[in-house]
Order: sequence, then structure tokens, then C-alpha cells
Amino acid sequence: MINSILLVDDENLFHLVFEDACSLLDITLTLEAVSSADEAEKMFKEWMENPDGKPEVAFVDLNIIGSTFDGIELIRRINFQYGNGVVIGIISSSSDQMEISRAVQSGAQFWIVKSDDIEPRLEEFKEDYPQYKDRTAPFKVYK
Amino acid sequence: MKKISIPKEVCQELERVAKENKVYLEGNILKVIEAPSYPEFSSYISLAKDNDTKNRKKRLEVTKQVQEQNKALTKSHEENEQLMEDLKVALDKAESAKKSIAEQNEQLTQKQVENEQLMEDLKVALENAENAKKSAENDLDVMQKRTQFELIGNIVNYALYVIVGTGIITTALYIMAMIKGSPETTLIGNTWSNLFGILLTNSFSIIGTIMGVKYASKDESKTEK
Repeated sequence: MINSILLVDDENLFHLVFEDACSLLDITLTLEAVSSADEAEKMFKEWMENPDGKPEVAFVDLNIIGSTFDGIELIRRINFQYGNGVVIGIISSSSDQMEISRAVQSGAQFWIVKSDDIEPRLEEFKEDYPQYKDRTAPFKVYK
Repeated sequence: MKKISIPKEVCQELERVAKENKVYLEGNILKVIEAPSYPEFSSYISLAKDNDTKNRKKRLEVTKQVQEQNKALTKSHEENEQLMEDLKVALDKAESAKKSIAEQNEQLTQKQVENEQLMEDLKVALENAENAKKSAENDLDVMQKRTQFELIGNIVNYALYVIVGTGIITTALYIMAMIKGSPETTLIGNTWSNLFGILLTNSFSIIGTIMGVKYASKDESKTEK
């Protein structure tokens, strides 16, 4: 089981869906959700100095309304500026190939396509998680 | 993660509350508690987890439904916004067209006023032209009459000169015939008498004509004045 997850998504209703789905699937013990990329960036900046409370996995939405940059840019900053140390990927309703390529370049490890039935994809992710943690799993799109 | 051990008393208290009030622990706390001193507590945890799962499933379904409705509402809102935007553009266009029509109307009204003014000027010019034409016609008529009268006057004058000349010559011939005692004196005298009578008649006729012409010329000059 994952110890803690950070969800970065502007849709508050999805926070509830994701939390319940994770709880039902026994994916994580704790989940923190934020609504903007700027807020998440601030948190990762603080975790650089004090890693207490740093999540093991971060799920980032692609287009985060109300943020000054998108999810892929957040992943790039986390990977290249804030020391990485988390399993990180995109969770988005989009499956645009160009955006997926951008995500790979920014260091994302997975891409989960957001839909009404999110549970099977999260379950698949749960199975693959140990390999992501070991950095042995290749980039994967969960459709 | 290290689990939390709960003493037996607390476990029993939790079981009592669950039995009396159907209130159970819920959430992720259930995943981290254990009661090694009270193995029977595992059934409580199992029941609490089942309740929690049931509640979460229900909440997940409701949330998904709300999410769907929210999506539909968001889509509807976006469509409305698009419609409003289109409506605004259409209104702007209509407003622009209205302004353009108003400007054109104003220009047309101005043109109409100018046309009316032009028509008025044209009417005045037409009246002036009509008057000028009448005046010119009158002038022409007067000129023609004057020319005619002058011509008649000349003719009458020359005719009078001829008559007077003929009278003088015939009289001179008669006088010469009388002085010389010509045998043709009587014949010449009769002829002179007849001729003189004719000349007198004609002279009066000519004088009458001259008087008439002069009278008419006077009337014309009065009219001109």
C-alpha cells in the first residue's frame, strides 16, 4: 500500500471520487488534494528543506484552471528543480499524443486517462506501483 | 507503517457504542489499529470496515452522479456563454447596422433638404426664364412692329415724294404748255386735272396712313416705357 498520495486537480468533485476510489481499492493510507499547480509547487519547495509529509506518489492533472502553468510544467519543475523523490504522473481526461510526449520529456512516469470508471485503472496502477518506485517500469498510459 | 495498539477497555467501549448507537470507527484509522490483547476486536474492525466500504461506495456513486451532472451543467453553461457571446456579437452587428442606417437616413434627409432647396431654386430659375422668355418675346414683337412701321413709314414717305414730284412735274408741264400756247393745252389741262385729283386722293390716303403709323408708334413707345 502507498503511504501517501498528493492529487493536484482543479476539480474538487474529482478529489472526492479519487479519495473514495483509493480508499476502496486500499491504494493509500493518506491522500492530500490541492487545486492549483502553484500551491503544489510551493509544497514541494518546502519539502526540499523538510521532507516531513512528502508524498510517495503525485497525480497531476494536465490543465489546472487557476494555475499559472500546466501539470506537465509542474512535473518538470518537481523533477528538475525540487529534487524529485516521488513517483509522479499525469491524470487527465485528455489522451493527446503530443501532450503525452511532452509529459515523457518532463519526466512523468505514467499517464492515467481520467474517466467515469477510474477504479480499474487505479487498480492496474497499484499493481505496477512497486516498479515505478524502483524506477524500473517504463512509461505507461492507462486507458 | 507501525500500527496502533488499543487496550482491551477501549475496544470494549467501542463495541458498546456500536451495539447501542450503531456508531463505528470509519476511514483509514481502521487500517492502522490493532488489539493484540483482545482478539475478539477483529470482528468489530471487520464490521466497521464493511460499513465504511458501503458508505464510501455509496458516496462514490453519488459523487460520480454529481460529477456527471456538473459536467452537463458546465457544458450547458459553456454553451450558454457561447450563445451569449454570439448574441452579443449579433447585437453589436445590429447596433452597428442601426447606426449605419441612421447615418444613411440622416444623409438622405440632408440630400432631400438639398434637393428641395434645389427644386425651389429651379422653380425660381424657371419662373425667371419664363419671364425672360416673355420679355424677350415682347421685345421681339415690339422690334418687329417697329421695323414694320418704319418700313411702312419709309414706303409712305417715298410714295409721297413720288406723288409730290409727279404733281410738280405735271404742273410744270401744264404751265409751260400754257405759256407757249400749245394746242395740246386743253388736253394737258384735263389730264393735269384728272391726275391732280388722283394725286390729292392718294395724298390724303398716304397722309392718313402716315398719321396712323405715327399714332401706332407713339402707343408702342408708351407701352415700352
